Amino acid sequence: MGVKKNKKQKREDYRAAMKQDDVLTMPRKKFYRQRAHANPFSDHQLVYPPHPDQMDWSTLYPAYVAPEESQPEANPSATTTEEEETPVKVKKLTQDVEVADIGCGFGGLLIALAPVMPQTLVLGLEIRVSVTQFVEDRIKVLRRQNEESRAYQNVSVLRANTMKFLPNFFRQGQLSKIFICFPDPHFKARKHKQRIVSTTLNSEYAYAVRPGGIVYTITDVPDLHGWMVQHFEAHPMFERVGVEEQEGDPCVEIMRNATEEGKKVERNKGEKFVALFRRLEDPVF
Amino acid sequence: MIVPYHLLQVSGSIVFAAQGTDILSFNSSLEHLSTWKYPVKATETPSEAVADAEASATLEAPPTPEGPPAKRRRTENDEKEVQTGDAAAPSSTNGQKKGRFHHKPQPVNLSNEKPFINCLLTTANGSHVIAATGSDKTIWVFEHDGSGNLKQLSQRAMPKRPCSLTLTTDQKTILSADKFGDVYALPLIPSAEPSLPPTVQSLPSRSATPASVPVPFKPQANDKTVHTKRNLKALENQKISMKLSLKAAAEKSADETQPAFEHTLLLGHVSMLTAITVAPGIGATGEQREWIITADRDEHVRVSRGIPQAYFIEGFCLGHEDFVSRLCVIPSRPELLISGGGDDDIFLWKWKDQQLLSRANILDQVKHAVEPEPTKVAVSRLKAFALVSGETMVAVICEKIPAVVLFNLVENTLQHIVTYTLKDEGVPLDVEMLSNDKLVVSIDTTEGVGPNAGPFLVLTRDDPEVWDQKPIVDVPAGETELNAHDLQKLLYTTESLRKMSDFD
Repeated sequence: MGVKKNKKQKREDYRAAMKQDDVLTMPRKKFYRQRAHANPFSDHQLVYPPHPDQMDWSTLYPAYVAPEESQPEANPSATTTEEEETPVKVKKLTQDVEVADIGCGFGGLLIALAPVMPQTLVLGLEIRVSVTQFVEDRIKVLRRQNEESRAYQNVSVLRANTMKFLPNFFRQGQLSKIFICFPDPHFKARKHKQRIVSTTLNSEYAYAVRPGGIVYTITDVPDLHGWMVQHFEAHPMFERVGVEEQEGDPCVEIMRNATEEGKKVERNKGEKFVALFRRLEDPVF
Repeated sequence: MIVPYHLLQVSGSIVFAAQGTDILSFNSSLEHLSTWKYPVKATETPSEAVADAEASATLEAPPTPEGPPAKRRRTENDEKEVQTGDAAAPSSTNGQKKGRFHHKPQPVNLSNEKPFINCLLTTANGSHVIAATGSDKTIWVFEHDGSGNLKQLSQRAMPKRPCSLTLTTDQKTILSADKFGDVYALPLIPSAEPSLPPTVQSLPSRSATPASVPVPFKPQANDKTVHTKRNLKALENQKISMKLSLKAAAEKSADETQPAFEHTLLLGHVSMLTAITVAPGIGATGEQREWIITADRDEHVRVSRGIPQAYFIEGFCLGHEDFVSRLCVIPSRPELLISGGGDDDIFLWKWKDQQLLSRANILDQVKHAVEPEPTKVAVSRLKAFALVSGETMVAVICEKIPAVVLFNLVENTLQHIVTYTLKDEGVPLDVEMLSNDKLVVSIDTTEGVGPNAGPFLVLTRDDPEVWDQKPIVDVPAGETELNAHDLQKLLYTTESLRKMSDFD
């Protein structure tokens, strides 16, 4: 036994060790802790594509990269007609990401959703660097452990500030489901503008979600639940899903019990408030 | 230093120009007609007047502000303030050196916080002039008698500082985009008769809880929602002090109550808005409709439907890699939109399909205009004018670059006509078109200018590429004086939108 390593050093060593290609043990949260709040208004050093067409999904979902020969026809959008600058060659996927978990945290929901919707690409979005790294390592290990069954190839994680850059990643109507699980409650009234749900921001969710798609919300803070319901109901593009349908949705059960925060609330015997909202058809204009 | 004319707006044969807090009107020969002065309030303290006098006396050494500004702001030249500070305001300077945590309650200097006009707009028929002032967040509406005289009709203080104003196509509703990212609609004439369609519902604001009555403070957290020992303890303390904070909470919600006049929250970005414009078009049912186009600091150009469906996003014109600061819908071809900002290019869009038609490089066109060669540009003005010949000309001004870049709109491209370089006339601030294809440029003449420099420059077109210039010297010099540092902050705000990220 040599000199006692400090926390930072241990963390770095651990993270470096996790980078090895043959790690099969799950990452440990204690090496990825980060302050629970990130200011969505500050200019983080974020990487995001200028346009969804320029997003390279191939590193996130390597099992879904389209074969090279299908490239020319697999160009669904015609927005880049006369672009003179050399367009970044982006490897296309065989299918688009359809489910987003905004603020995925340590990724409990993603991991639980992966086997439930094996044909769907699910993406977790998280603003905190270390936490994103944890989920990344977690998925990497899970993919390795399940190489034979090719499970968990359909989930991935990305560091992003969705409040600002959701339209940089997703085209109009690309998503069928958005999960907003245990968002930062921002208790202080002056921090309410940082909440992930607000009527003005709901317009962007309505843009990314196709008609009929569902936005799932869950929180253990009654006031925040009230806020989210009020702001979604006030938005003309959303309607609240009835209790019956809500309880029949298998995703709700997962959201209640599989998210890391959900488990924590369970341990503390707290209450959980669920609300689902359906994206309505586009109004005629 | 005397504030130059930093905003121009032409309406018919009248030129309106904003100079600091005042609006002056000129005829088409740029002869002064009349002036509207910002009403002086009793709050303007004598000490401020003294500070101003000092500012004007010592042109070279800008006096430091007498205390920390009301809001935390990035200070570009702290050292300078420390150096010159002792002379100007001996009581205050020491705090600056020690860093951000040493704030003493000190009298706030308002010299750089005067309510300068940051938006100027006229209705299509010239009957009304609309202006927004910065520090007091106020939108002003004036009646214009057709010969340059302004009569103040209304004065409305917005919840946040307006960044850009526009009017709906029916000219009855002002749309105000603010620093907070929200767009509000307010009737041009606030009166008893509702000028907004009754179907327009204001969206709940995210800035304040919608309950406008002061609610007694109640912790939103409970012992089920906080888990750590420390947070639980904090919650206990919160409950104990609930009684005390009741009063504070009441005061706070009183602060947050919405303004009393009619205003409607239409849409919002999370980023700071920089520009807003309205474009007409044909709706799905064949009716004449309009769309609201907004630009923000995070590279987005968003196309939303017009009232009453402003909550519906049609799409985003994505492609900018730096902030967007200006938008311009081409009057003769309203299906086209030009956007410009911190990128080297300006972008031409078919906004309804969010289709990028072409790009035109600005940086290359202005490189020769200034020494040393700039490596980046910040578009501060972007305007399209109809020429007598029926062509459309686009004029671009980049911040602190002594040149006006002119383009011709040909089909779906912008073809560079000429970069009109101002050698020793000063730095252009704004550009507008007078009748007969004459351009009027307002100039910042405070630094390194030749003997013939004047506040305005009229450019007459002899030939597409040849322009004859005539400085207009005989105009009121204005009374608003500022020190060099504050003047820079007033005139050149675009480049500061660029991200200088070292956060993580």
